[in-house]
Amino acid sequence: MVAAVECRALERGYGSLEVLRGLDMEVGAGSIYGLLGPSGCGKTTLLKVLLGRLVPWGGTALALGSAPGEPGAPVPGPAVGYAPQELALYEDLSIGETLRFHGRLQLLEPAQVAQREAWLLDFLDLPDPERVVGKLSGGQKRRVSLAVALLHEPQLLLLDEPTVGVDPELRARLWDHLRTIADGGTTVILTTHYIDEAAQADAVGLMRNGRLLAEDAPQALMEPHGHVSLEQTFLLLCRREGAKT
Amino acid sequence: MNFARIRAIAARKFASLRRDKRTFGFIVIMPAIQIVLMGIAIGQVPTGLDIAIINDGATGMGAIITDHLVDSESLVVHADYGSVAEARDGIEAGEIWAALHITPDGTLELHLDNSNQQVSATILVEVRNAMTAALEEQGDALPLAVAQPVYGERDPAFIDFLAPGIMTMVCFMFSLILTTMAFVGERYDGTLDRVFAAGTLPVEVLLGHLAAFSTVLIGQVTVVILIAVYGFDIPINGSLPLLFLLALLLGWSAMCFGLFVSTKARSEFQAMQLNMPVMFPVMLLSGILWPVQALPGWVQPISWALPSTWTAEAFRSIMIRGWGLEHSEVATAFAFDLLFALLALAVAARSLKVRD
Repeated sequence: MVAAVECRALERGYGSLEVLRGLDMEVGAGSIYGLLGPSGCGKTTLLKVLLGRLVPWGGTALALGSAPGEPGAPVPGPAVGYAPQELALYEDLSIGETLRFHGRLQLLEPAQVAQREAWLLDFLDLPDPERVVGKLSGGQKRRVSLAVALLHEPQLLLLDEPTVGVDPELRARLWDHLRTIADGGTTVILTTHYIDEAAQADAVGLMRNGRLLAEDAPQALMEPHGHVSLEQTFLLLCRREGAKT
Repeated sequence: MNFARIRAIAARKFASLRRDKRTFGFIVIMPAIQIVLMGIAIGQVPTGLDIAIINDGATGMGAIITDHLVDSESLVVHADYGSVAEARDGIEAGEIWAALHITPDGTLELHLDNSNQQVSATILVEVRNAMTAALEEQGDALPLAVAQPVYGERDPAFIDFLAPGIMTMVCFMFSLILTTMAFVGERYDGTLDRVFAAGTLPVEVLLGHLAAFSTVLIGQVTVVILIAVYGFDIPINGSLPLLFLLALLLGWSAMCFGLFVSTKARSEFQAMQLNMPVMFPVMLLSGILWPVQALPGWVQPISWALPSTWTAEAFRSIMIRGWGLEHSEVATAFAFDLLFALLALAVAARSLKVRD
């Protein structure tokens, strides 16, 4: 397996606060990786390190073969697509303007953007592209945010809580789509609160206190413990971790 | 650096500006209001100043001087004070600002309520003019003759000195205010993370914003110059395009500085606070309200580190002296503003980090 993302003993925090404490992680190219963990465990910090926004304090992080943000690295750049948890949309732009803005930032041709825009509007069930983002519902905004990340068909997709507030039918469609592009070679890393949802991923990382407690295929994670759900597996691993310290 | 990305950011920012009609109106109308208010409020000659004349003169001089003072627009002459003592009581009671006593031997003696320097200065100018005119009518003259000035008018109004300064201040301040909040929000709501994830460089973000704001700047500068020249009838003896260009350069230097502030501020409120340490020196140390030459020596280096000082001087040279780029004072202002803008931009680019 070729690793699209690889972290070794990764450390990073803010000021005197340590967030990532020696995290090891490996994400195979063309796979879907679900990152599970409570709020504040460092999921978003990890994604920002992979984007090159945050520089590691210690250890290494590689995305698509290079340390993100280093000269010549493909990340940040059009090779990566990012949908942050906080939506991060310009509220005063229309949906169409938002997509065209990001299309130009990704250096796409106008014709390409128009084609992708038409497809995404349909696929994500978005309203009239003339509508201003600020006036959309929370779920609609989240879908616009997803559209921005998917727009330029990046090699690496980092999605922070992509399915919050999205209806089940669309969530299923999104997972189908992620599966299709992963089969085509795209690597997807997503964080989620819906633990059961993560069972559809090729690999799951259970994250707590800035470290991965375990990382494997969902079935492989559940089997040794004889438990039926990821939820219970996670709980057991947390208790074991607690007993150690 | 990628031009397409700069253009994308500029177009996006411009769309935001255009959509926010209230802010857009504010940023174009406010400089206009400010320059109109300043033009009306500061630097005009006071009128309706009450003064008494006690003419004890034996010669015809007293009558001629009185006639001239009665004709003055600034003064309201009262002849009903019978003696100097009575007039001084009048001053003490606040009825009149001054009393002019024409003594029997023809000399003039001025009694003043000297509590307001500008009022006293106006009265002194009027009395001196009346005296000069009276002497001329008698075929005589003061031993001092002021020849036709090389630059400026024979009777310069304070507003002629002030207008270039006010234009400087308005162009600088509104450009600063406009940009300091540019991406305070973007840095914290994740939108900038997204822009950087696409591989955008900080300098591209800055230049994109600068380009969008420049459209506003061009509008502001046009309004400010039009009001000064046509609204207040300020003479422009030099090149109007040159004036316009220098105003743009000053605006850009303020904007680049504002963008730097924007990379540092944690909130929009803090951005406003961070403006203050710049706004006040610009207002008070740039020779806008009072000549730089009158500042204490140790303050003057601060003055000359501000682009507004060089620009105000150059505005005056262009407008009153009619100078062009061939004069080093004007050329230096262009060079200094450009240098300041580039330096501020470089500092802002360093401060707006992709990697933290």
